[in-house]
Amino acid sequence: MAPADDRSRTGREQEHRTAFGLALSIDPRISIPGIAHRHNSTSTREPSVIRLSSGRELERRWDRLATPPARTRELRLDGDLVLTVDFAEPAGYLLWAKEFARVLISPDGMELLCDPDPANDDWASILSAQALPLAATIRGLEVMHASGVVLGGRALLFTGPPGAGKSSLAAAFVRAGAQLLSDDAVALQLREGALTAHVGSAVLQLRGTEDERLSEEARTALGRQVRSPWGKQRYESAHAPDSAPLAGLFLLARSADGPALEQLPAVNPFELIGSTFNLSVRTPARLQRQLDVVSAIAAGGLAHRLRVQPHVDATQLAATVRERFASDRVDAVALAVDPDIQHALEL
Amino acid sequence: MPDKRADISTLPALSDRELLAARVRLPQHVVHRSFVSETVVLNLRTGKYHGLNPTAGRMLDALEAASTIADAVAVLTGEYGLEREQIESDLLTLTRGLLERGLIVTADNGAG
Repeated sequence: MAPADDRSRTGREQEHRTAFGLALSIDPRISIPGIAHRHNSTSTREPSVIRLSSGRELERRWDRLATPPARTRELRLDGDLVLTVDFAEPAGYLLWAKEFARVLISPDGMELLCDPDPANDDWASILSAQALPLAATIRGLEVMHASGVVLGGRALLFTGPPGAGKSSLAAAFVRAGAQLLSDDAVALQLREGALTAHVGSAVLQLRGTEDERLSEEARTALGRQVRSPWGKQRYESAHAPDSAPLAGLFLLARSADGPALEQLPAVNPFELIGSTFNLSVRTPARLQRQLDVVSAIAAGGLAHRLRVQPHVDATQLAATVRERFASDRVDAVALAVDPDIQHALEL
Repeated sequence: MPDKRADISTLPALSDRELLAARVRLPQHVVHRSFVSETVVLNLRTGKYHGLNPTAGRMLDALEAASTIADAVAVLTGEYGLEREQIESDLLTLTRGLLERGLIVTADNGAG
């Protein structure tokens, strides 16, 4: 930690960071794993403020509702409710994650009030895992459920169902010299026809069995080892650049049939829509943005199928992608934007 | 504020002849994007996505551009080189399906 940070901590000044395309002003008592990228002073975005809150303060706000709360998301594991998101005006989105925290996110995404579970010293990981992607979505970015790396200044994203190998592939890229953009969620921004991927939380989580197969050298390449409460091994990786132009989105599928890597000119748009991260925000503006981002990925020829075949490991798969992208010059993709995209809806 | 005028309940019961003379358009709360494999139509009010195959997607474009549905039939007949009756029947079926789902409205319905 730089001395300047220490002074900030003792002075109780907010920490300034960037993640998921947002400038963040963070309560110095909160340490969010993998969020270390310093605030970009050239950013024109006003920062979202993250601060600790007493449960009473949060409840006071949640009690003063103009509309009844609507449940926008519910997640169960083995039948056990572990995460909910409720929305109500004027309080905003109340995210509850069992044994982690309650986080009240204002309707404009500018403020995140955190009421942590005192028994969990890892509670702040819910911020990078759920609350910040939600805030980014509210503030106009589209978050993909994907791991991402930056290779040669270009962002490559890997998406697929749980267990498809997203993190393993990102880890293989990092071991080969790429920089980690994010392990589970990557914020995309569509501006003037080009898609930019933003750094998220640079914490890689590997299953125990996979981690055991790595050499000490490989572990070192992944970054600083951090304790994980879920039996996974976490590595806090050296950060990628703040953002990078999107050069490829790889849809992972476990399959023995077909080529390992295939560009998808006729990608199924619903598969891309299904790869977006956050369904809690269903405003017309967000829904249209989601469709526009998916449309830009397809129109830019960025979608690829990456088949994870039984006899091929993540290192070999990463090499296949690197080989293709080393020989294939891909610049920031300039896309023709349908005039309708620019049309502001007044609903 | 959400516009309630284009809801399914307002679907006029038009005969084929009346429908052919009508003009249709997308209400403000409906957007669509064309992909190689299909056209995705999104109702921003309900959050529902609808998929159209490439032929239906082309028909939607023709409906949007034409002054009347009959004009769209003429354009598509020229493009596909099929019997006018067949194109007309297919286009009317699609039009009714889109109207029922609130994805298009007749132009004299002020929705939007």
